[in-house]
Amino acid sequence: MRRLPRTPRLVLLVLLIAGLATMPLIPDWFPDQSWVTNSRLFSFTQMFMLITLASNWNLTGGFAGYVDFGHAVFFGIGAYGTGILMNHGWSFWPAMGAGAVFALVFALVIGWPTLRLKGPYFAIAMLGTFVAVREIVRVSKGLTGGGVGLTLPPYLNRPLFYWITLALAVVVVFIMWWIRRSEFGATLIAIREDEVGAEMRGINTTVNKITAFAIGAFSTGIVGGLWAYQNTFIDPDVVFFPSRTVELVMMSMLGGLGTVAGPVLGAATIYWMRDVVWANFADYHLMVEGFLLILIVLYTPEGIMGRLGDKSATSLQKVWKRNGKVPEDAVDEAVEQVTP
Amino acid sequence: MDLFLQALINGVMLGGFYAAMMLGFSVIWGVMGVINLAHGEMIMVGAYLSWVLNENYGMDPFVSLLIVMPIMFVIGYVLQLILINRVVNRPILASLLVTFGLSIAVANLAKLVFSADPRLTDTALSGAWSVGGVTFPVTKTAIMGVALIIMSSLYLFLQSTRTGKSIRAAAQNKQAARIVGIDINKIYALTFGICIAITGAAGALISPTQAVFPFMGTPLTLRAFTITALAGLGSIPGALMGGVVLGIVESMIGVYVPGIGTNLAIIASFVLLVVILITRPQGLFGGLRPHEEPAQI
Amino acid sequence: MRRLPRALAILLALALVLVACGGEDTTETTQAPDSAATTVAATPTETTVGTTDTTEAMMEFAGTIRFGAAVSDTGRFAREGQDTRQGYDLWAQWLNEEYGGIKVGDDHYLAEIVYYDDEGDSDTAANLVERLITEDEVDFLLGPYSSGLTMSTSAIAEKYNVIMVEGNGASETIFERGFKNIFAVLTPAGNYTQSALKALADAGAKTVVIAYEDTAFPTSVAAGAEKWAVEYGMTVLASETYPLEVADVSSIITTFKALDPDVFVGGGHFNDALLFVRAAKEQDWTPDAMVITVGPSNPEFVTEVGADSEYIIGPTQWERTMSWETGWFGTAEDWAQRYEGLWGEPPSYQAAESTATALALHLAIEAAGTLDTDAVRQALYDMDITTFYGPINFDDTGKNAAKPMGSIQIQDGIINVVAPTEAAVADLRYPMAPWGDR
Repeated sequence: MRRLPRTPRLVLLVLLIAGLATMPLIPDWFPDQSWVTNSRLFSFTQMFMLITLASNWNLTGGFAGYVDFGHAVFFGIGAYGTGILMNHGWSFWPAMGAGAVFALVFALVIGWPTLRLKGPYFAIAMLGTFVAVREIVRVSKGLTGGGVGLTLPPYLNRPLFYWITLALAVVVVFIMWWIRRSEFGATLIAIREDEVGAEMRGINTTVNKITAFAIGAFSTGIVGGLWAYQNTFIDPDVVFFPSRTVELVMMSMLGGLGTVAGPVLGAATIYWMRDVVWANFADYHLMVEGFLLILIVLYTPEGIMGRLGDKSATSLQKVWKRNGKVPEDAVDEAVEQVTP
Repeated sequence: MDLFLQALINGVMLGGFYAAMMLGFSVIWGVMGVINLAHGEMIMVGAYLSWVLNENYGMDPFVSLLIVMPIMFVIGYVLQLILINRVVNRPILASLLVTFGLSIAVANLAKLVFSADPRLTDTALSGAWSVGGVTFPVTKTAIMGVALIIMSSLYLFLQSTRTGKSIRAAAQNKQAARIVGIDINKIYALTFGICIAITGAAGALISPTQAVFPFMGTPLTLRAFTITALAGLGSIPGALMGGVVLGIVESMIGVYVPGIGTNLAIIASFVLLVVILITRPQGLFGGLRPHEEPAQI
Repeated sequence: MRRLPRALAILLALALVLVACGGEDTTETTQAPDSAATTVAATPTETTVGTTDTTEAMMEFAGTIRFGAAVSDTGRFAREGQDTRQGYDLWAQWLNEEYGGIKVGDDHYLAEIVYYDDEGDSDTAANLVERLITEDEVDFLLGPYSSGLTMSTSAIAEKYNVIMVEGNGASETIFERGFKNIFAVLTPAGNYTQSALKALADAGAKTVVIAYEDTAFPTSVAAGAEKWAVEYGMTVLASETYPLEVADVSSIITTFKALDPDVFVGGGHFNDALLFVRAAKEQDWTPDAMVITVGPSNPEFVTEVGADSEYIIGPTQWERTMSWETGWFGTAEDWAQRYEGLWGEPPSYQAAESTATALALHLAIEAAGTLDTDAVRQALYDMDITTFYGPINFDDTGKNAAKPMGSIQIQDGIINVVAPTEAAVADLRYPMAPWGDR
């Protein structure tokens, strides 16, 4: 694929971000237009949040190869942290920051033991953690309001949330891009490709894994806090929504695991797809989504970016092959030769 | 003391059911390396089948097993051939996602067909026996009995028959099994079919005791995870032990912790899951893949 | 490496375009595949031709008043969402085809209801309500199903100063936020068990146990149950919670059985009702009375549970046998028959309260004589009427303070109103017979 020269690329990118940033101002400049509405800003806000979440997940799941099936737990901790503190009189920004810190600390605590586990076991351990935390939140009525939920001070300013989430998305994707180019990123990929080898070369895999995990958790916690504030009302089932994690996985996978652009593209595509599917298949939309997921997994394992030739895209197939297992092909050949 | 015994009995019954409920999940994972997130939905399908027979032909759910199990076997066999087979050779993530997609699709399909109204079946085996100060619910006892029969049949099948041994061989070392001439595809299809049949049977068994509705599967899938982690992949004795252990733990906590007992029991089961995975991921009892080292470094 | 910023640019652009296209699709689609209201309102000439009354035939409609509603077509509240929608649509059809539209001053207006599916998710519901207000520009809002969704959507309504009248969210927390744009026609959750507990106390019950799902609505009900039990001189021996999606309640039943109480109160949703009845039977426990909050008043309960449903008591917002009567739909029974004629199935109380919701809003608009929000709001506060659903008189938080909660008991397979005495058609049967004897 031919690359555009660097300067025009950068200009294009800046223009795009600027364009997105000015969207909420359009109603003021063009009062008669009807395309930019608060509801549409809300849609975009959701999408930016998803992009951020997917990118975060991709850090641990795509770059480092540790597929996390309970990532939404950090979202929930951020949301509840923010909610609880705001109910104790804190104002939003410190509360959100604290919520994200709680998520970070929790990641350190839970990451230490679980990141030792191999692929599927890690995934399930995180899933179990997710459910356990949800239920603990549910019973801790005094702290969290239990099943009844918490109300946050209402503050409805769609444009503001739009800008915040846009900024967050840009920052997070930029960080991912920077990590990808850095020593840290290379280390993570080395861990993904051949962890034993990396250890032998002197890399402290544990510290690196936990760092990636914690970074992802922190910014996921931030999104959780933002979301809670925007929603005004949270309860355990709404916050710890089981399919949220799978959505993130789907988006990263669709876009291209381990790429920077992958989660962004995947999030946007899935978001759009849901909207269209929803509008046209009202009754069946969830069913259609289920089928779509199956098709995505079967036919685009390396994601869209992978198909576009981005070599950093990986499907887990490649990960596992290099992790010391006998490649399928070689044995298949051997079997062909042996069996009559 | 009566309370303790009652809680114990409840726990054992619950456990027996849990074991039968998750057996299919565990064996599929152990043999094929596939994590079937649509497990709960298969239970749901079995439950609905039983309900349809109960509603239209007055068939007792226990009797309906004779029809439900073959149907579910065919469903499983076909599913494996057209779908699961494609993700068997891929890493676990693929099977997780494909089965997750399947679970959403099937649950919503059920909702379209049956509507979201909850259903119950009626069984002749209802009521309770009182022995000493302890009550034995008839339905649950019968469920436990059937569960034990299913489990022991599967166990004998895997230990003693040629096909069963082929399945175990395929689980332990797929490449070697192929080399000695075992048709892996057929074995996988057969295994999947059998496991789905068992899972569907669990659904039929559960239909007289709790509401049958399209989204009943999700909590059951999570339970299956926990018990599999406890028991070890594909281990039948492990499943029974693990199921009973979990059942007793849940029951005891539920009875002895006032107010939030039932909630706490759920928490306990998941905390247990995480702890087991961290400390002894191959489960308490080994299983079909005892050699698989789950920890990294 | 150098590829990435370019890729980023391309995909962000793509994303922008995609979401834009996707967004347009949805806003143009009103999700009401079989809504009677939208088709009726779209063709005013047809409605005037179709009516038999000559005065109606000469009516001209000055326009359409639009009502927005996010209801659950899919998700965990699919069944109740359908009941809600059918209730609203029945009102709209009656209004447009028989009543002659909403009279505002000297003009008559058709009603149109714009629906979206909230999937049982409060996040989605709130977003949809915002869309209804800002993009579809509806004039008023009709509430969703369930307290949780009502909580989040009413916050949006309050922000935009659009009145929302609802009939399916009974949790007290909805009304404790100082909002002035939310009104509910149904009896609030805390009073659900009141008439049943009073009747039981009068019959001699002394001790009570409560089990409830720890989400908003059942928690309110349980809190109320505790309060009324004590008020009527009974003792609450134990109170247990259980999580959403619980599969096994044997532990709770075992604990309760050991305490040997007179009355069991269970608060949750329909599935829990089935679960508790079967569980109590399995453990061979027969309290003197079982009061279950959602389930018994629904004919489906009797169908599914069969003979075991005898003697079970349940609160009901409304039963067709109640003696409320008005000039708008006639008696409760008249309304029920109309519903059956239109939808082919007997109505649940969720449907009844939905029609009542729309009716209350409609009458308030007429009383105000204008669509102005403040005037309609005042009309709602001033309202004091009796409908086929019961009395409607809002207090200053928006709750319907005038309507008592009914209690039914299943007797010989029939759902009979046994309390309060003003609306009762049968006597309470107390205590329950053992399971084997039914």
